[in-house]
Amino acid sequence: MSLAARHLEANGIPTVIMGCAKDIVEHAGVPRFLFSDFPLGNPAGRPHDPASQMLTLELALRVLESAPAPRTTVENPLRWSDNPDWKLDFSNIARLSPEEIARRRAEFDRQKEIAKKVREKPQAAE
Amino acid sequence: MSETEDGFGFAPDHDAPIPYRQRISDYYQTLGYGAPYRWAHYAEVPFAPLKKPLAESRIGLVTTAAPYQPDKGDQGPGAAYNAAAKFYTVYSGDTATDHDLRISHIGYDRIHTAAEDSNSWFPLPALRRLAAAGLIGELAARFHGAPTNRSHRVTLDQDCPELLSRLREDKVDAAILVAV
Repeated sequence: MSLAARHLEANGIPTVIMGCAKDIVEHAGVPRFLFSDFPLGNPAGRPHDPASQMLTLELALRVLESAPAPRTTVENPLRWSDNPDWKLDFSNIARLSPEEIARRRAEFDRQKEIAKKVREKPQAAE
Repeated sequence: MSETEDGFGFAPDHDAPIPYRQRISDYYQTLGYGAPYRWAHYAEVPFAPLKKPLAESRIGLVTTAAPYQPDKGDQGPGAAYNAAAKFYTVYSGDTATDHDLRISHIGYDRIHTAAEDSNSWFPLPALRRLAAAGLIGELAARFHGAPTNRSHRVTLDQDCPELLSRLREDKVDAAILVAV
């Protein structure tokens, strides 16, 4: 998505990205970014929380309208949880047992087989 | 001896954006996929200023979510990663109607969220409401789906030009890109 934002912008269409993977989007280098510090999968607000979804979208529009320069990131002030420990879990190899690592290796092989008609890469959102 | 933090109100060090690149690199390295993934990275960033106020602008919407395909396995809430549900070319949909878009083809956080509410990744209904309220001039007639599964080469040479072409046909003044 970051590459699309850059391409559109280089061709005169202003963009704002809504996303949850701050380091990946900023590493690519994008014009405007509303970052929500939520688990990947919730770039447009918390599930079953219409108020958070509307606030998140309105923030994105304000970033679109008011960013003064490229690489403008605004962080959504909403919190996913009062307990930040969810951030320790995603793809954290240090938290997996050897048995779980073996199981995931097998599952990854299976998914690669399914998708082998295209060049498959580690799945990184955004 | 370090001073005590009592009373500073500091957050725990891990209460910060997740370092996904490091996490994912370490993860796949350990699973035995040796060659490290190279994430897109540029030093220069283009910037196109908005030409009109939002309230007069036509806004496009781009998503990485996929239309539900009943014959492609479990794509429901909490479904395991499902490569079969991927799509490989840009698609478009009518913004005036509702759509059943799923994210089982994407590596979202399956521990802490379950993809139960598409409004948390596809804000089309919310955008319609903002258009009705006059916060944006209007919503473009179509939204567009961007594939997530291809190589950088395919994204740059095929998907990006296709998205640009469709958004130009729609005559958008700006676009919201929602990245799952």
